Amino acid sequence: MDSGIWIAAGLTLAIYSFLYRDNPAYKFAEHLLVGISVGYLIVIAFKDTVVPKIIDPLFVHRQWLVLVPVIIGVLMFSRFVSKIAWLSRPALAIYIGFGAGAAIPANMQANILAQIRATVSPFAGIDSIGGAINAVLIAAGLICTLLYFYFSKKHEGVFGKFTRTGIYFLMIFFGATFGFTVMARISLLIGRAGFLLRDWLNIIK
Amino acid sequence: MISLRSLGNIDRKIIFAALFLSVSIPLIFDFRLPNRITKEVRAVYDFIDRLPPESAVLVSFDHDTATLPEMSPMARALLRHLFNRRLRVIGLALRAEGSSIGNGLVHAVAAEYNLQEGMDYVFLGFRPEITSAILGMGENIARVFPKDFRGVPLDEIPLMQTVKNYRQIELIISIADDDTPNYWINYANARYHEAVVPAVTAVMATTYYPFLQEKQIIGMVPGLKAAAEYEQLIGRPGDASVGMSAQSIAHLLILLLILIGNLSYLSARRRR
Amino acid sequence: MRRQIPVILCFGFGAFMLAQFFVPSRLSIEAYEMVVDWTQTIYVFALLVGVAGMIKYHSEKISGKKAGYFYNLVTLIAVIVMAASGFIWGRGESSPFDWFFTYMQAPMQATVFSLLSFFVASAAYRGFRARNFEAVLLLLAAALVMIGRVPIGDYIWSGFPKIANWILDVPSMTARRGIFIGIGLGTIATALRVILGVERTYLGKG
Repeated sequence: MDSGIWIAAGLTLAIYSFLYRDNPAYKFAEHLLVGISVGYLIVIAFKDTVVPKIIDPLFVHRQWLVLVPVIIGVLMFSRFVSKIAWLSRPALAIYIGFGAGAAIPANMQANILAQIRATVSPFAGIDSIGGAINAVLIAAGLICTLLYFYFSKKHEGVFGKFTRTGIYFLMIFFGATFGFTVMARISLLIGRAGFLLRDWLNIIK
Repeated sequence: MISLRSLGNIDRKIIFAALFLSVSIPLIFDFRLPNRITKEVRAVYDFIDRLPPESAVLVSFDHDTATLPEMSPMARALLRHLFNRRLRVIGLALRAEGSSIGNGLVHAVAAEYNLQEGMDYVFLGFRPEITSAILGMGENIARVFPKDFRGVPLDEIPLMQTVKNYRQIELIISIADDDTPNYWINYANARYHEAVVPAVTAVMATTYYPFLQEKQIIGMVPGLKAAAEYEQLIGRPGDASVGMSAQSIAHLLILLLILIGNLSYLSARRRR
Repeated sequence: MRRQIPVILCFGFGAFMLAQFFVPSRLSIEAYEMVVDWTQTIYVFALLVGVAGMIKYHSEKISGKKAGYFYNLVTLIAVIVMAASGFIWGRGESSPFDWFFTYMQAPMQATVFSLLSFFVASAAYRGFRARNFEAVLLLLAAALVMIGRVPIGDYIWSGFPKIANWILDVPSMTARRGIFIGIGLGTIATALRVILGVERTYLGKG
């Protein structure tokens, strides 16, 4: 059998030993994983980004404008020296400003306008009683959920009844999410069990 | 005699062992149950099935090895469908580990169909900073990815000579275990009106239902069960279909544990 | 100046990205592509800073011979071996780099996450209690989704998948939509505050 399978199985069991209790085998595997993951990231970041975005443009195509983001990026390393750590701020500021500017129209379109349209548009094409009930439930539930997140007014009286309904919708959402979370975690266990039983022990064909 | 109260104090090592057995025994005895196809998975299958041959599809491997058992079957099933329909696949990764995962998977599935790299498919590699990568490809893919994973310049790759940006791409599939599909929806769909499909881990499933109604996504492949459905639709059962029996029994076990826990709790509460 | 220049840069890039969305002229698209490029390049250094920080942390623990420093040594050696194998022999399919990834990194990472399934089962058994109406709703929704979204649920009763699908399509989706709209509004408000220089916590102290 492939030595790699044995090593993978050994490391898998070392990590599963944590279920009994924390022990040196688990600690070893955990620290090994961290190291290998960082080593992997260094290689991928260098080959997939540093080479095509920095080295090639500068030394092959002589695109000197690339020096601007390179210098700003190199300044990020000043974070390790507290006296000159402020030099890393421009890089952070550019990155955060870029993200903030891009996020405004994106969120407005995708998370607000489209979602409101999706809530209202079903009323235009109702073709059954079930469809009508669902459309009303969605619209009412959305209003109640949004009202729940309005904390500038005390949740009491009539307002409190709306926010309570919002909580009920949220509880159903959290329950559904929990159900799916269980499903996801079990799927990962199925994968590992399949590996141990099929690839390592050959119990399953 | 076992009392309800004692059932509320089962040692967790027994629970761990029961869970492992509930997964292992069905895998060993491999019984299959019919798997109903959900509408969101059917929508993805129908959309891909209707694409004309030679259409370009972008497949982004936005997950890491932690969720490989769940993501790999759905990625494999989707790639098989794409290659079987003779669609041109452009693979890339917005997560570092997705680079090796995606490269290996795309090559492995393409080999099943005797396809040629550079003509029928290409793998571009990894780019960090999701927002700028997605926005950049909207205007010029070669500027974001000057070379592919092998180091070949994009202007030397026949497939990429006809695909410059999103306008030549019919569909974007994001195989993700986090909220990366949100970025594809917010930027590629909202700004460039690209069709997007999230193929996600079950944990993220409930996140994307709000996008179905307004067609911000054309469908969804959430979790191992959806992967099994897709395998069924393409007629090639694989790891996901095999795992469904184990998934079923494990779910029943957890529901039983929740029931026992609550009965014990209610019994204790009544005594007080 | 140490705080003003970053704030001005943040405003400049933020305002440009916002304005460019509404002014897609040829010139603005060229400038936009350049800005996107620059952001990618800068971000690479952020990754490398993270890596350098991590190596610094482990090196300090080893040199100071702190408790458990053997494990820090394991981490550092693993970083060096993995990175060196990738640079020396490449990352092709039969390379040592690919072997480490396939037989060590991938299995270990998947196993760590699969541990969660055990803890989810134990936590569900111990903590998932129907204490009040809201908890009952949560419990019912979870149970119906868990049974409705696996084949055995359909086998037991064909109504389970229909109920699970309705839960996902209507009440659960509605709450998620409300959260999305809230997140959208919050993101826009925060983004405006950041661009206008009102929010400056990203600058840190000094």
